[in-house]
Amino acid sequence: QYTIFVEEHCLTRQSPWSNTVLTLHTSAPLRAEPKKKKKVDPKREHVARERLKKRLKKLEKVPPELIPIEDFITPTKCLDEARGRSEPRLPFEESERRALLLKEWSRFKHAQHTAEMEAINLALDAQREALEELKIESEELYKAAIKPDPLVFPFSHEGPCYTPPKPKYDAPDGKYHDITKVYTQ
Amino acid sequence: MSLLIRQLQVSLTQQSILTNQASALLQRVTSSLPAPLCRLAPTNERHYRTMPTHGIGRWKYLLPKEVPRKKRDKLQMKPIRGSTATEYGSLSVKVSGYDMTVVEHYSQYIHNLCNRLGVRVAESYALPTKSTEVMLMQEQGTKMYIDALLKTHERIVQISSMTATLCPTFMDVVLQNQPEGVQLSVKEHVERDFLERFKARPQLEGLMAQVNQRD
Repeated sequence: QYTIFVEEHCLTRQSPWSNTVLTLHTSAPLRAEPKKKKKVDPKREHVARERLKKRLKKLEKVPPELIPIEDFITPTKCLDEARGRSEPRLPFEESERRALLLKEWSRFKHAQHTAEMEAINLALDAQREALEELKIESEELYKAAIKPDPLVFPFSHEGPCYTPPKPKYDAPDGKYHDITKVYTQ
Repeated sequence: MSLLIRQLQVSLTQQSILTNQASALLQRVTSSLPAPLCRLAPTNERHYRTMPTHGIGRWKYLLPKEVPRKKRDKLQMKPIRGSTATEYGSLSVKVSGYDMTVVEHYSQYIHNLCNRLGVRVAESYALPTKSTEVMLMQEQGTKMYIDALLKTHERIVQISSMTATLCPTFMDVVLQNQPEGVQLSVKEHVERDFLERFKARPQLEGLMAQVNQRD
């Protein structure tokens, strides 16, 4: 049997086995002591960290996937067999005309290609000769000429258009909405 | 004394005759048996490699060689080169536009041109297409309605190295042949561009952030 001192200075005799929920169980040494740290805490943290690292390792093992490109996937509409149609039967003159036209076109493109290659080769030869002459003149200038230009890149250029833009064109109000699908692994 | 010597001599000669006879017998014996069986083989040599029937049961060498099918490995990035005194480093030529056939043909043309001129091409790939919705304002009222869906296609030709003397000629040719509606952009290749091709991994990134936070 022992007595418990409550804040209101009233003695209450209670057995040690009863639940002291209503009464404050305080004593001088207990009030001054800081909260006891449980021994299990650092171990638990360590275990949690290990678990995280394990999960990370598992995820890292899986190689990253490339984003699928919609251009290379044929849409299901085109795979439908019923949409196909047979080739039209051409008359003899028409097929002859087409074949001769193809030959003309190939001749024209070949001539274009050879002209382009010749122009490129001429330009490169001229450049080479000029550089050789420069080398004879001065080494430093030659080295400076050969050095790559850092200001060239980044470089961007828009292609030509059929019709130039109108000078006073009143565009309707609107906005562009980007709806590209975002893939996550 | 002489008697003893003569006896010794006789005994010796007799012995020699006997040994000669014995050796002759042995030789005859060895020649009659097949050679390999009697030959003392050294420990690391096997008998049957010299036999004509060696390798009689082999058949696996006749089958076509099968490459072991392994799981898709991580796509390795080709090493990025920096610019040297005479050459540019890794460049990426990006061709983008709304018309897919034109964009593809132009990128193929650039690739062929590089092959012809001796410029080393590291990779040639496509970036994912970007879809843009054009929304216009209605004439009467403030509502927006969808006017069109534009798809921007992009193709990249990654060049590993290009000499600085060849660059102006190359750019000239490429620009002269640029078709309508196609935007060309040349810039240095960075690792970030390579990582853009892959899917985003929010889980992995979250875990990494957590682990770094803990530490």
